[in-house]
Amino acid sequence: MSLPFLLEKTVKRIVGLLLIVIGVAAIAAAALALWPGNEDSGDVAAVESALRPEEPTAVSLGPPDVTTTTLPPEETSDAEEPQETADIAAPIGLRIEELGVDAPVDPYGVDQRTGQMDVPDNVTDVGWYKFGPSPGAAGSAVLAAHVDLAGSGPGVFFALDSLEEGDGVVVLYEDGTESSFRVIARATYDKDELPLDVIFSREGPAVLTLVTCGGGFNRNLARYDSNVVVYAVPDLGGELPEGANL
Amino acid sequence: MRKMLVLFGAMLLALLPATGALAQSSEGQVVVVHGIPDLTVDVYVNGDLTLEDFEFGTVAGPLTLPEGTYDLEIYPADADPSSSDPALAGSTDLPGGAYASIVAYLEEGGSPTLGVFVENNSNTAAGDARITARHLADFGAVDILANDGAVFEGVTNGQGADVDVPADTYNIKITAAGDASTVAFDADLNLLEGTNTIAYAIGSVAGGSFQVVANTITGLESAPEGVPTGTAGLAGSSATLPIIMIAAGLVVVAGGTALVTRRNEI
Repeated sequence: MSLPFLLEKTVKRIVGLLLIVIGVAAIAAAALALWPGNEDSGDVAAVESALRPEEPTAVSLGPPDVTTTTLPPEETSDAEEPQETADIAAPIGLRIEELGVDAPVDPYGVDQRTGQMDVPDNVTDVGWYKFGPSPGAAGSAVLAAHVDLAGSGPGVFFALDSLEEGDGVVVLYEDGTESSFRVIARATYDKDELPLDVIFSREGPAVLTLVTCGGGFNRNLARYDSNVVVYAVPDLGGELPEGANL
Repeated sequence: MRKMLVLFGAMLLALLPATGALAQSSEGQVVVVHGIPDLTVDVYVNGDLTLEDFEFGTVAGPLTLPEGTYDLEIYPADADPSSSDPALAGSTDLPGGAYASIVAYLEEGGSPTLGVFVENNSNTAAGDARITARHLADFGAVDILANDGAVFEGVTNGQGADVDVPADTYNIKITAAGDASTVAFDADLNLLEGTNTIAYAIGSVAGGSFQVVANTITGLESAPEGVPTGTAGLAGSSATLPIIMIAAGLVVVAGGTALVTRRNEI
């Protein structure tokens, strides 16, 4: 065996090993991208636990929950004051610097045909679930917007799944005030497993919950199979610990 | 001698389906409504003074009580229960999880009576509110209209009904049955999502004491069933690229393996 032959063989082996490493890395990266659970970040379980409504008890329906009003006969007027969950005005705008989002927010309720949350039928606006709390009040305040819309292209929440722990979100209110929030967790839920009682909770700590669609896309149904949910909490000014790498 | 009406015999509440907000609870809730004009009373529950100087047109509660049987006695205010008879008395079973209205009211014709009504405290669908109407006034049959459309027709004294509607402000009218020109009540009610607004019509129309008092059960809301926010498929994890990467990766690995393992060439 000559030296050139040994050299050639060694080079071939090195190239071969490199190819194997590159190939395995490509397969691993692809598998990771296909792996459904890799998109969650932050302590999703802690947020869910804090927001999940407690088991019904008699106490939770106690006296403070009931209003008693005497209605004057034959008089047309607003007989009851609306029971807002808190003294926080309705949200009218949303800014997310990391995503370049500066969008109007309008109140939306329920689509009576589907029982699902009603959302803006455009790619520019954000919908606030008006029956839940306003951002900053107790419970989960839901702001939902399209990731994309057939015929219109990418939506205002197109890049929601790139928000990371610590990113800032600013909500503008009807009364001219604004509040800052910080992202604490992000989760991608299969639509069949979406924790609706958590996302639409009306009790627990004040959490701003941003919702859009994501995951796999079913072209036949024109429907995503998952929801991307970002949880943020009021920014009290302190530095969040630089921790979990998203 | 004052008129004495004692209702004996249990007024048994029907067991509610287990969908109520208190379904698993061993406690129930009770509101007490005073619908007899010109009579201020003390209310005794199981012999204990529970409501003192209770006046016409007021709603007290809800009281949260363990499930069980309760004796109710209503005396004229400041009467001594040890030396006088109650004006009204009755007994009721309160199942766990139930929400009951106990109402002292006038029958048509003006006789006072005591009624127990189980309210619908099952959850409302997302976006909906519930309105319950109870005719407990000295008056004939009525129609109840929401935004000038009849919701309940021919409701007579002692009857009530509930209906779920999309949460909104509604104009509610109570008219004599079949006679839209005789309006007993006309007001706008803001029916809040996830609540049951119970409207008790009490008093006497002829006597000028007719009024409607409202009481709201809250916390009945349900979450929407989903959030549909994408229809174009531009985002998310498309499976195409990873599959191409896996295929290419396998080819590269195979080539590399061949290079490493080939031995016996020239």
